[in-house]
Amino acid sequence: MGNLAALVPLLAFMAGMVGIGFYVRREAAGSGFLQNYFVGNRSLGGFVLAMTTVATYSSVSSFVGGPGMAWKIGFGWIYMAVVQVTAIFLVLGIFGKRVAILSRRLNAVTVVDIIRARFRSDFLAGMAAFIIVLFFCGTTTAQFVGGAKLFSTVTGYSYETGLLLFGVVVVIFTAIGGFRAVALTDTCCAITMMVGIVLLLYYVLEAGGGYEAIMTNIAANHPEMLEPFSGGNMPWGLYLTQWILVGICTIALPQSVVRGISYKDTKGLHRAMLIGTVVIGFMNIGINFAGILAHGVLTGELASYGTVDNIIPTTIVTVMPPSLVGLAIIGPLAASISTISSLLLVASSAIIKDVYLHYHAKRGAEPSVRRLRLLSIASTTAIGLIVFLIALTPPSVIWLINMFAFGGLETAFFWTLLLGLFWRRANKLGALLSMGGGTIVYCLTQGLGFKLMGLHQISIGITCSLLFFLIGSLLGKPEDEDTLDLFFPSASEH
Amino acid sequence: MTRKEKYLQMRKEAGYTGLALLLLILFWLLAGFGAAQLDVTVFHLPLWTVTSSIGVWFMAILLVNILTKYIFQDMSLQDEEVEKHG
Repeated sequence: MGNLAALVPLLAFMAGMVGIGFYVRREAAGSGFLQNYFVGNRSLGGFVLAMTTVATYSSVSSFVGGPGMAWKIGFGWIYMAVVQVTAIFLVLGIFGKRVAILSRRLNAVTVVDIIRARFRSDFLAGMAAFIIVLFFCGTTTAQFVGGAKLFSTVTGYSYETGLLLFGVVVVIFTAIGGFRAVALTDTCCAITMMVGIVLLLYYVLEAGGGYEAIMTNIAANHPEMLEPFSGGNMPWGLYLTQWILVGICTIALPQSVVRGISYKDTKGLHRAMLIGTVVIGFMNIGINFAGILAHGVLTGELASYGTVDNIIPTTIVTVMPPSLVGLAIIGPLAASISTISSLLLVASSAIIKDVYLHYHAKRGAEPSVRRLRLLSIASTTAIGLIVFLIALTPPSVIWLINMFAFGGLETAFFWTLLLGLFWRRANKLGALLSMGGGTIVYCLTQGLGFKLMGLHQISIGITCSLLFFLIGSLLGKPEDEDTLDLFFPSASEH
Repeated sequence: MTRKEKYLQMRKEAGYTGLALLLLILFWLLAGFGAAQLDVTVFHLPLWTVTSSIGVWFMAILLVNILTKYIFQDMSLQDEEVEKHG
């Protein structure tokens, strides 16, 4: 039997999320369905934009696997994790306004809409939609599994119960409420994550005998934890890879870029860049620092706790009063929920808007709003269900799947978006070669386990994808003048 | 702002955002690997552990503040032509 006291706050939180989904649906009744369901009517303010971008970006691994590694590695891990403070201001600063203005001009609601218009290619758009759905299924599965494992360790209820509980909750509020529900629940999730971190820091310090005692113990027994290379556990290649994988290239993740379509005005965008940077820094440093402080409580060898994934759940159960365990676990679960909801919605938009609707539009048919609503809800639910079924018998290498999917999306979209939106000469051939060829090279090197200088395959993927883009753009024809004028206004324009 | 002015402004903002990234990477190198060479202790910790975490975070906040205050400009997200017609 599980710990009912730990379950009650969690159930209350979940009920709140579903409530938001229904509330948003009632509020939104009657307004333009697509704009509303997939980008929340472009009405987000700065605070919600910041929170939804941070919450989507921060996943369950930031709250479980990451700090577990910090416990093992020490301050080198925080040094590496802190590169993520760039993630929010880069994506909003580079793409925020560009995507917002273009989407209004093109009446676009997805990143694929913009890619299709820029390169005038249905094939490229189809490939982009396919890559999104494929990799998102991988990332979402990782989130489900991570969340459910944590749930079962902390509450004592089974893995399947956890999976069922928040699988159902996420799918319901996302399918029913759409983007606005996702943004609002993301905001609640981000706030809860911060409260969870503060609580954990407080109790882990108390249980470990205070800050000074813990640090003296680390200095005496684990001096390598106070070195950047952690006695060889943190090679320079890992630092470099992390800058690319979880720092710079994250600006091209479709689930982040789509947030640029959703906000109301530039004042909000500027505010979101600042708030987002403050919040993401606080979360990253706070939770990984809690992982290091856990040395005051978990004093044994790693083997005695199982894997690094067990460090944070074990710490929560050990240091928190039983009445607060339920509250503390909401933080990491919120991280998982907020990522899943956004991924589900973008994957669903790829199917409904980018494939289904486009197919009908080309034949001059326009499905009714009622039909669109039903199909959108159905596809969100269907993707959720598929991922749920995969997660029931989880693959054992969750974080690897997560990182694989991250790298795949970045390889596919980084140059296509960056060069497509800022380089006039970028053309269809370049984008096709870059997205298709880059992704294939990346998947092949991953599959074969091939690495250059021990670096993660993202470094190969992103380099090949750039080379392909340049070769294609220089060999192929530039896009026609109308398209270029739409994206790069010339001097004679107003 | 005309469409062209907006585009040039957005390009400038994106460029400066990239520049802020470069500055932050430089600071990150100095605050971590650089400061690790010093034999200074604060709050029972080697100096680099503080400068490379909270230091990098504060530096990022400062850079974003400068970007949004001095480089980024408010603009209408609608095209001017569209606004005129409705």
